[in-house]
Amino acid sequence: MTFDPAKILESKRALRRDLAARPIAEKLALLDALRARQLAIRPAGQSAAAESTGILHEEPAPYRAG
Amino acid sequence: MNIRDVIKTINQMQAKGVMERYALGGAVGATFYLEPVATLDVDVFVSFKPEAGSVIVSPQRIYDYLTARGGTVQGEHIVISGWPVQFLPPASPLGEEALAQAVEKDVAGTSVRVFTAEHLAAVALQTGRAKDKARLLQFIEAGVLDSDRFQAILTRHGLTAAWRRFEQQFLRDQP
Repeated sequence: MTFDPAKILESKRALRRDLAARPIAEKLALLDALRARQLAIRPAGQSAAAESTGILHEEPAPYRAG
Repeated sequence: MNIRDVIKTINQMQAKGVMERYALGGAVGATFYLEPVATLDVDVFVSFKPEAGSVIVSPQRIYDYLTARGGTVQGEHIVISGWPVQFLPPASPLGEEALAQAVEKDVAGTSVRVFTAEHLAAVALQTGRAKDKARLLQFIEAGVLDSDRFQAILTRHGLTAAWRRFEQQFLRDQP
């Protein structure tokens, strides 16, 4: 363990590089796991519709007509 | 909940002629180049054909196909294998180019079309929400962008000024 901020940042970068370099099937499985976790920790006050379907919503991307 | 099942379903739809060519964009598309980041939905960009006798493009055929097979429509999404999926027509020349130039990737034996890293980064710049800027930074820090190709896309789609602002805001060495 280190409390050197430079080493901590480098270790985070290394972890990100390691995650990015993993096989795509593994990375997609991680997306599944991250989404399952988001659903598990969603606020208790989530709407009834979201509760019944297990769906969380986020602001859609305003993909622009150009 | 399995995103690979989503990909298989989309491939089946394409094979059966329910929809034309497609490509993954958004956070799921970015996962093919970067570390995975939590996302709530899957963005699938599709060329929609107008229905016979109509000039209006619609995802109705896709929705009909999926709901007949247990998919649930939730607002702008349809849920496949536990994932809310949004089918989007390319809304700009940049989107059309990204779809046309998408690349084939292999996911453990299943093929999938994905936007190139450079197009994903350009779309993120154009879309411009905080999380899109964060994704663009991820692309830059990961060093996965072909600089010439990226700059050519920015020039073609009038994004050079937006890119300069982004550089000023996030990439300059001195505060």
